[in-house]
Amino acid sequence: MESFLILYPIITLVVAAVLVPIISLIGKALNFEKLREAFTIAGFLAALYMLFNLYQELKTVKDGLLTYRIEGFGPPFGVIFVVDWLSIFMASLFCGLGLMAAIFSIRYMEEDSGLERYYTLLFTLVTGMVGVAFAGDFFNFFIFWETMCVSSYVLVSFRIRLWEPVEAGFKYLVMSTFGSLLVLYAMSYLYGLTGTLNFAYIAKAISDISTPTILYFLIGLIIVGFGIAAAVAPFHTWLPDAHPAAPAPISAMLSGVVIKAGVYGIIRLLALVLHPAPIDWSIFVIVLAIFACLTMTVGNVMALLQNDIKRLLAFSSVAQIGYITLALSVGLFGGVIGIYGLTSGLLHVMNHAIMKGLLFLCAGAIIHAAGTRDLRELIGIGHKMHGTAIILTVGALAISGIPPFNGFISELAILLATINAGMGLFAAIMLANIIIGFSYYLKLLYMLVWQSPKENLQNVKEAPFSMLLPMAILAILCIVIGLWPQPFIDFASKAAESALNFTTYISII
Amino acid sequence: MVLNIGLYMVGAIILFFIGIYCIVAKRNAIKTVIGIEIITTAIHLNFIALGIMVPPYGVVDPLAQGIVIMSMIVGAAIATLALMLIIRIYGHYKTVDLRKVSRLRW
Repeated sequence: MESFLILYPIITLVVAAVLVPIISLIGKALNFEKLREAFTIAGFLAALYMLFNLYQELKTVKDGLLTYRIEGFGPPFGVIFVVDWLSIFMASLFCGLGLMAAIFSIRYMEEDSGLERYYTLLFTLVTGMVGVAFAGDFFNFFIFWETMCVSSYVLVSFRIRLWEPVEAGFKYLVMSTFGSLLVLYAMSYLYGLTGTLNFAYIAKAISDISTPTILYFLIGLIIVGFGIAAAVAPFHTWLPDAHPAAPAPISAMLSGVVIKAGVYGIIRLLALVLHPAPIDWSIFVIVLAIFACLTMTVGNVMALLQNDIKRLLAFSSVAQIGYITLALSVGLFGGVIGIYGLTSGLLHVMNHAIMKGLLFLCAGAIIHAAGTRDLRELIGIGHKMHGTAIILTVGALAISGIPPFNGFISELAILLATINAGMGLFAAIMLANIIIGFSYYLKLLYMLVWQSPKENLQNVKEAPFSMLLPMAILAILCIVIGLWPQPFIDFASKAAESALNFTTYISII
Repeated sequence: MVLNIGLYMVGAIILFFIGIYCIVAKRNAIKTVIGIEIITTAIHLNFIALGIMVPPYGVVDPLAQGIVIMSMIVGAAIATLALMLIIRIYGHYKTVDLRKVSRLRW
């Protein structure tokens, strides 16, 4: 069904991005600098409200698909936005974590200069991700993807007077651009094979293609390209440099949702666009599962060795991407097994966004208070920051899969889905990895919360309210999803069903 | 007149590998950026060449040219950003040799 509501979240975010510098100038003239932050939060709230409206509209549609043809030009030539349950699921995650990062930035970033650029880039980053989720063809997809990528390069190297963000930003730029270019190369061949850039028309044309051998090559390019963006090992080497180098709210955004955009790209292209192709998918199931096991092992083992709190969390993100990739590989089976696997994967995408956002914000609060990232310097800081310590404990227990919290639900779901698909070996590897993950989070908790504080931390004070608020919201979400997961599971399973249901997608557009 | 599309596609593949060689083997940061630009150009060539081949035959598809123009804009933005970062790298390290710009461990 045609709906103009699709454009509203994107328009809101773009207009907010353009207005931030102007509002910032007005704030300076009125001697009320915080007007900029207030406007940013209002912008994200407005975007979330627009997304909620879209959600209500989507509920009323029977086949679960909304489209918007720009200027009325339909496919295969025109540019089209398509919103299904997967899009709205991902977009609400992106916007929600953006709001949390914006609230956290009020106090965390107040000593930096150039904040009007910072908030503009935060808006363009979220715009890019929401646009990627809403795109219905490669044209849109590519433009919004690059909007997201360029914004995150600049945000990683935002504190450009220090050496670390510059070096990490350059490394991130080279690797991530290379990944985007691989995807673009695959796009050009798909365009040559089918004569269109529209997802649905490519899916239609690809089912009776004469030379299916080239598709193996193209899917390989797509997996590697998005794998670089999603930090799948062995292409993860930019992540443990880039995520710690960024300011803490941006680390939360990058680890929480930007790498998930890569996961979304893999789901969208492999489960929808290329899935009707006449090729042997079981090869890619195995390839993705092996990548997943490599990723989680590398991430967990490297995280064990870290003494820097943000590097530890960054390597933990690599490990969690491994779990998600394993769920995606099960999702490629299609059918009931595939829906089950993809549901667990999407549930973990949501939970990991919440948990890792929470942990990075905690790390930010601790770094802001103590001025160092070295775990050995931070021993016992929880005794000085009680609120942060409680929230950190919730986050660390949740991500290591302890029952009353949300991480347990999704990690168990992935394990069960993997066993259900007959991949018991991979489930065993994942279980071993969860135990390793628990060990370094225990180490983190032991060092930061349990041990008595060192002398160098005498003057540390509790984080201010505006930092504790987003952390507390995310921690409460961790507990709520852990105790009452049913609505979230339903949402994720609807998203997984619509992601795998390419026949409806093709017939509507 | 029949254009030989395959020739352009082979040319694109060769350019693509030259770009990869530039990124992997060259240690100068500016040469890395040049490698990225060469890969971008290879993909553009591929798009434009394939735009002639897709139906309806005999008409050049404007869609391919549209996405190439967008990609050129993005490529310019990324090159600018990369060169800005290289200037900053030079300021911090007094070199653009990427072997020496590696204070961060893996």
